[in-house]
Amino acid sequence: MDTINVSFQINGDEVMLDVKPYETLLETIRERLSLTGAKEACGLGACGACTVLLDGIPVRSCLVLTAEVDGADIITIEGMKKNGKLHPLQESFMKNGAVQCGFCTSGMIMTAKAFLDSNKSPARKDIVKAISSNVCRCTGYKKIVDAVEEAAQKMQS
Amino acid sequence: MILPKFTYAKPKSIDESIELYKMHDGRICYLAGGTDVIPLAKQRLVAPDVVVDLKNIEELKIIEKNDKWLTIGANVTLFDLKKYPLTKEFFKGLYESLDETSCETLQMRGTIGGNILQNTRCLFYNKSIEWRTARGFCFKMGGTLCNAVPKGNVCFSNYCSDNALSLITLSTELEFVGLKGKRRVAIENIFSGNGVKPFNLEPGEILTRICIPLEKNRGAYEKLRVRGSIDYTLISVAVALKGDGGKVSIGGVGPAPLSYHLNNTEESSIEELANKAYSDAKTVANTVLTPAYRKRMARVLVKKAIKRSLQEGN
Repeated sequence: MDTINVSFQINGDEVMLDVKPYETLLETIRERLSLTGAKEACGLGACGACTVLLDGIPVRSCLVLTAEVDGADIITIEGMKKNGKLHPLQESFMKNGAVQCGFCTSGMIMTAKAFLDSNKSPARKDIVKAISSNVCRCTGYKKIVDAVEEAAQKMQS
Repeated sequence: MILPKFTYAKPKSIDESIELYKMHDGRICYLAGGTDVIPLAKQRLVAPDVVVDLKNIEELKIIEKNDKWLTIGANVTLFDLKKYPLTKEFFKGLYESLDETSCETLQMRGTIGGNILQNTRCLFYNKSIEWRTARGFCFKMGGTLCNAVPKGNVCFSNYCSDNALSLITLSTELEFVGLKGKRRVAIENIFSGNGVKPFNLEPGEILTRICIPLEKNRGAYEKLRVRGSIDYTLISVAVALKGDGGKVSIGGVGPAPLSYHLNNTEESSIEELANKAYSDAKTVANTVLTPAYRKRMARVLVKKAIKRSLQEGN
């Protein structure tokens, strides 16, 4: 089957690839680009472990075809660090013990980043709603909400 | 989970998309947000030769209004429609059903057109090919049995769109373009009532526009699900009231929504409608909650949704 030529930006780098038409963005990110932060859990769009930002919007990368993202700007968890310094969300997740088994963490942080980018001073209930897009099997939601809340405060100051 | 092999096309117009349908003898699948169709493909419940991505078609992205209608392009995302100020102001029930659809991340990707035309669901249908092969193919898979109801002779799969229910109560009309040209129908008329093939669609048809009469309604949406997010509905009720009467729609039970007129909002009329909903809701054991519980909730949610709509004032 013919491949499709796509070019897009990922974590600030331009990439040009020949991909299979039935290849998901998650497969491309993990297997071709070796960015293994985004995880595959349910594979059906229900859990959010594969969340990445597509033009600033959080998407389930397991439901997006790579062919669809030609010309797009993608950010994964690997692109959160700036000049060797972790993003406040990453710092805050570590400090608050918001990482248990860690499988949902990159998706949680990407969803939280998109949310905080559009909502600088969120109420706690809004944070709960935003991260309810993602499932944590360890059910460590309280610490995750704490971490997002603290990161929001830190990003404001 | 690996997708089946297909080719991919991203046409720039509706005509071009329909040409692709003709060229491949209908063995294509239209793609908008992909939140329904990609999981179906992964589970081998659809297996197209070509996936035709409609996201490049500008005319499917519009939201416009005139004196009489709010017209929404089928590719407007659920999230964008929810944030459109007029939605909350004029159509409270629709606003609530958009907000209750899955979760915000999926609302940002899923489209209103895709949400209306999502396939019906069943605990025994939305499974992997291996699981389904072991169990035996049901009517909806082209087989000769129902895995939910022993000796059942029809498909009892559930239509789980949240927003179609609100749109029914708002007397919405839908515009389609297909091989035979353009047509406009009341949303109620697209449902066949047959779970195997839930929609009355002509070959190659693409849903292009969702047209809602621009009249302010009082409304509410009530949804039963296990978790407060992500889950599909297990039974839902949408209400829109105008003047003394209104419309009520019930979904998540069987392949087509149930629709009712509420003649007035007196206690006895509400009670009568709630009892009718209870007797009409033919729930079967094809979701994660028992049929008896879901059936009882028909009555509860009808009353709750109507009462909440009334409290809105106006």
